[in-house]
Parts: sequence; structure tokens; C-alpha cells
Amino acid sequence: MKILSLSGFVPEQICDTVRFTGYPGGNAISHYCGYAAEYISQVLNDASVDGAVFPRSCDSARIIGSYIGKTDKFLYQLPVPARCDQAAVNYFAGEIRAYKEAIEAHYGIEISDIKERIEAVNKRNEAIKKYYEALEDISYSEYLREIHKMLTMPLNEQKIPEPKKAARGGKRVYLIGSFLTYDGITDILENCGLKTVGDDLPESGRIASRPPCDTNGDIYKNISASILSARLSPTQDNFNDILRSDLEEIKAKKVCGVIFITQKYCEPYDYLYSVYEKMLEAEGIKSLKICVSDPEEHKRSELAIEAFADMI
Amino acid sequence: MAQSVIKLQSSLMREYYKYFSKYARGKTPDKKVAWVTAFTPVEILEALGISYYYPESYAAVIAASEKEQPLLAKSEQCFLCRDCCSYSCCIEGCLELEDGPRGTPPKPDILIATNNQCNTLPDWWNILSARYNVPLIVIDYPGESVPRERAFEYVNAQHTDLIARLEELSGNKFDKDVLANYIDKSSESVYWWKKVAGILPEKAIGATTLFDDISYLITARCDPDTAELYKALYEEAEVLPETDKSLIPLFWLGYPLWYHPDRYLSECLDGFRICGSNYITWWDLDYCGNDVYEKLFSAYNYTFLNLLQETRTERLTELIKTSGAKCAVTLHNKSCKCDFVSAKDIGIPQAELEIDMIDRSFLSVEKAKKQIDLLKETICTQ
Repeated sequence: MKILSLSGFVPEQICDTVRFTGYPGGNAISHYCGYAAEYISQVLNDASVDGAVFPRSCDSARIIGSYIGKTDKFLYQLPVPARCDQAAVNYFAGEIRAYKEAIEAHYGIEISDIKERIEAVNKRNEAIKKYYEALEDISYSEYLREIHKMLTMPLNEQKIPEPKKAARGGKRVYLIGSFLTYDGITDILENCGLKTVGDDLPESGRIASRPPCDTNGDIYKNISASILSARLSPTQDNFNDILRSDLEEIKAKKVCGVIFITQKYCEPYDYLYSVYEKMLEAEGIKSLKICVSDPEEHKRSELAIEAFADMI
Repeated sequence: MAQSVIKLQSSLMREYYKYFSKYARGKTPDKKVAWVTAFTPVEILEALGISYYYPESYAAVIAASEKEQPLLAKSEQCFLCRDCCSYSCCIEGCLELEDGPRGTPPKPDILIATNNQCNTLPDWWNILSARYNVPLIVIDYPGESVPRERAFEYVNAQHTDLIARLEELSGNKFDKDVLANYIDKSSESVYWWKKVAGILPEKAIGATTLFDDISYLITARCDPDTAELYKALYEEAEVLPETDKSLIPLFWLGYPLWYHPDRYLSECLDGFRICGSNYITWWDLDYCGNDVYEKLFSAYNYTFLNLLQETRTERLTELIKTSGAKCAVTLHNKSCKCDFVSAKDIGIPQAELEIDMIDRSFLSVEKAKKQIDLLKETICTQ
């Protein structure tokens, strides 16, 4: 069973999925998110992938099923709520249960280790949190590479190494954006003398912020509440909350510049940027927006980062 | 005595625009104001005495008045990427410059966004919320991908919450019978609109009329004058001459081009007649159910763009069949990703055009013409 998952909202407590990290050379669709287009390509073309789970959280993700609907692989669109209140927690709990039942029906298996997996996910997230809190003293690019590697492995093989001290100084920056498919950009930041001290990336700061999930009571509600209580994605439609929590961290960590990395045609982040930029301007914090349109073409980003590093 | 079409149109427009800055003369609305997306359950707002405005519709009016370009440029200067939905870019420019053909809408006390047409609108409403620093309510409609019972429970909890919050805002008490009355009015507007739209394949009513006149179903579906208008329009259309059946029947699949005087590429469609369009059916809301809550759920959870691909294909195929179309112009609209794939497997030849419904600079008319000529050749040689 190899289910390719597109989002951090997919509950790892149910079963192993492989987090999608990019599929260079996939088919492009005009005016459509490149990350989602690559995901579609991998689901359709990679014979080792036998299933796909993706959310309904943005317009590009919403129509993925229309592009891949004709394969006989396991396809599941997870209806992640656009709200975080109790009604949303209850609703998402029901959808997580339905997701589990759909996997059981498709693969002819019985999933009976959810409690054990909850504990394993809690432990893993705690380790990521510890790693994240050590960002001051470690190499950010090494940290992110470890996380990306880990997310493609089965839960019981995910090992977080002890953070290795790498006392590299630099101008303090904060990263925000969608899943960082091109993690080489973090090397560019370091080579330009920038030190990433925090982020709001789905695979990093947001996992680190996720509260542990309780194994007592209704486990589906607990999983749902844990996922929906993490720092928010812009697809959850509460920009105010994102601005507030990010600014708090940015100030606490004495950041002098923010780097906003978006995928081309990723509307939730494009909209978020328009208010984020105004907030940073009002706070006197410099920012740089990098829009990744072609994962192979990073020279331009490198030049922009160099110039930004000089400016701050 | 029945009122004329023009009189009803004028009265509905006057009512809608009376508090826009160009006409208000300093007066402010006597009710609380909400800005809503096009598939908001406005019957609830009507029942609680709240006025509401549709920024999306106003963006269409701005483009139709040929005013969109400086506004799009302004929004880009204000950090809103031009790749985003042009409705939002156009309105952001309008609000930033406080300029539009009718001025700006009255300032909102509350913002309500739904995701039953796309997920972009709640994103856009978030930036409006930052601008006006007013509460934002997002209503999450799971659509057809979630079984009806579970979806109802979730949506109904949100509708109930919306009612409570709007009661608090307006100071008015919710009355189920009043809501039922507004739902009936909306249903009647839908009924008469369907009759009008159904006449397109047979009578020389013209697609432009339908693209323009659907606006009342969007902005004033609870108003009894809307049903009255559509009834009058239907009666007028019934006595129109037959459509010219010697022309190739074409289905317009996607949005009207709001910036175009005819709302479609008339200059490229010599030899064709538009006999159908899916856009003009999007607000055919089906208020079915045993009580007001179920009716609202049915109408707003199962909007066209909230349906599964199979159902959309099925509905489109049926629409096309009924229209008698032999081919389609399909619009790959930069501003509406949710509509990208509506036209899968519809069984007739298509010319797929890259367009934007607001930004006139987006389309290459020359390229579109070539694609449509090729489509014509395909039909004529079949």
C-alpha cells in the first residue's frame, strides 16, 4: 500500500501515507498550481503509487479528482473543514472515520492500531518540536531536509535525529509559505548569510505547534481536534489568527526579515501575502516574496535572496 | 396591472444601488450591512433585516463600464497578485481608489463568505476583513463529496450559528415563518428564471439578455419583483420570432465576458448562434426539503460548482442535449479554477479559450478566432 498524500491535514494516525514532496517534469496545467499539477502527474504515472489522498482546501486541490478520477487507484478527497469550531471538529472526526473505512474497504484490511499510531505521531511531533525549538543553534537546511526525508517514510521508521549544533550566525529571517518543494532554497539562504530562526511551513512550524492527541474517549474527535488546533493554514480562512501568531513569533525571535515563498498560482498564499506584507510594513520589518514557478529555475530566486540579504 | 420589464429592472437596480457612494448623497443605510458572496443563503439575512451587497457582481459592472484596467493595476500595487481572481483584484482596486462607475458600496458591518462555488472567495473575504476590521463568517459547504446526512448536520450547525450571530448584530429576532416566506420568493424567482433561460434555444432572445438579466437572480432573488420581472420577460420572449435555425447552435460553456459589450465573443461567432450556457443555470437553486433548514441546505450545499465531476458532466450533457448544441466554446477562465474541468467528456467538439471574465487584456482575440474557425470547419465537415 503506497498512498500519496498531498497535505498535512491527512491524519497519519489512520495509516501510513507518503507525503508528496514534488515530481519534477510533471505535466503543467495553465494557471494551475504547479505543486498540485506535479501531484496529479505522480499519481497518474508512478506505478508504485496505488492510492492518493488529497484535501479540498483550495481551488487547485478541489478539482484534483476531476483530473485523476479515471484511474483505478484508491482516490480519496478529504473534506478538511474551513472552520475550527466544535461543529468543524465533530464533522472532521466523522470524515476521518469515513477515510479509515474507505481504506479498509479498498485494500481489504482492518485498521486496528490507531491508538498506537496516535502515540507514535505524538512522539514524532514532540521530537519535531524539540528540533524546531533548537533552530537557533542548528542548520535550518539540514533540519528541513531531515523532515522532508522523514515524511516520506512509514511512521515506525521516522526517526528524528538529535539536533546537531552548528553555530552559524547570520541575519535572522523567518520563512512562510506552502510546502517547500525545493528545499535547496534553504541552502541559498544560508550561503547568503541568512539564519532562519522560525517558520510557518506546513511541514515544520505547523507540525511543531500541533497539540498532542489524546488516546482516551472518541479517538476520531481527538485526532480531528489535534489537527485543527495547530497553527492555521490560509486555507482555513482565518488570516487574522495567522498574522497574530506569526507576528508574535517574529517579534519574540527578533527577526529582521521575512521571506515569503509561494508556488505560482497558489491563491491562498497570494491572498495572505497581500495582508501579510502590509502588516510587516507597519511593523517596519522587511520582506521578500519569492514565487516558485519552475522548480528547475532557481537562479532568479538566488539573486533576489542575495539582494535581500544585503538590504537587511 | 403587470409592470413592464424596463420598469421592474429600473426599480430593482435603483433599490440595490441607492446607498452606493455616487447615489447616497451622504445617507447611510438604515439597516446593518453585510457583504456576501454570490451563493450566500441571503434568505436568512432578509429574514433578519440585514442589507447585503455582492462585490463580485459589482466587479462585473465595473468591467462592463470599461473601468477595470486601472483598478486591476492598483490592486497589484497593493500587493495583490494579478494571478488571483480578477473579481477580487478589480474590487480591491476600486476600494483602494474609492472609485467605480457607481462609487463604492456602503461599508460592511459584517462579511459572509461561502465556499460552495470556490475556495478563493473566503480568501478574498479575509483581506476585506483586514481592510474593514469587521467580523468574517465563512460557511463551509462540503458539497456532494460527503453523504447528505453528515453534510446536513454540519451545514445546519453553521446556518444556526449564522442566524444567532446575525440576530445579535441586527438586534432582530429570528422568525422561521418569515424565513420560509423569503425562501418561497427565491424559489419563485428561480422558477421564472428557468422558464426564461429555457426559451434560448427556440426564440431570438439573445444570450446577452440572459447574461445580463441573471444578475437580479443573484442580487435580489428574494425580492418579489424579481419573479415578476422574469415572468414579464418570459411573456415578452414567448412572442419573439423564432431563432435562426440555419446558424450553427453553440453552447457557451463558462462565464460571460463582462467587459465585452455583448458579454461573449460576438465578433468571432459569425455563422453561430448561442443556444445554451451553463452560467445562466448556476443560480437555479433547488430549495427542496421538509423545512426551512433542509431547504437552505439543499439549495446552497449542492450548487453546480460544489458537485462531483460525474454529476457535473451528467448535468452539462443534459443541458447541452436540451439546447441542441452541436459544439461548444469552453472557457478556461484564469479566475475560476473550479470551472476548469466542468467541460470534461461532454461529447461535442469544443474550442477551449484561455480567458478572464474581467480582464480584457488577457484574451488573444486573434487566437480565439482561429480556434473558433477551426471548430466551425470541424462542424461543417462532419
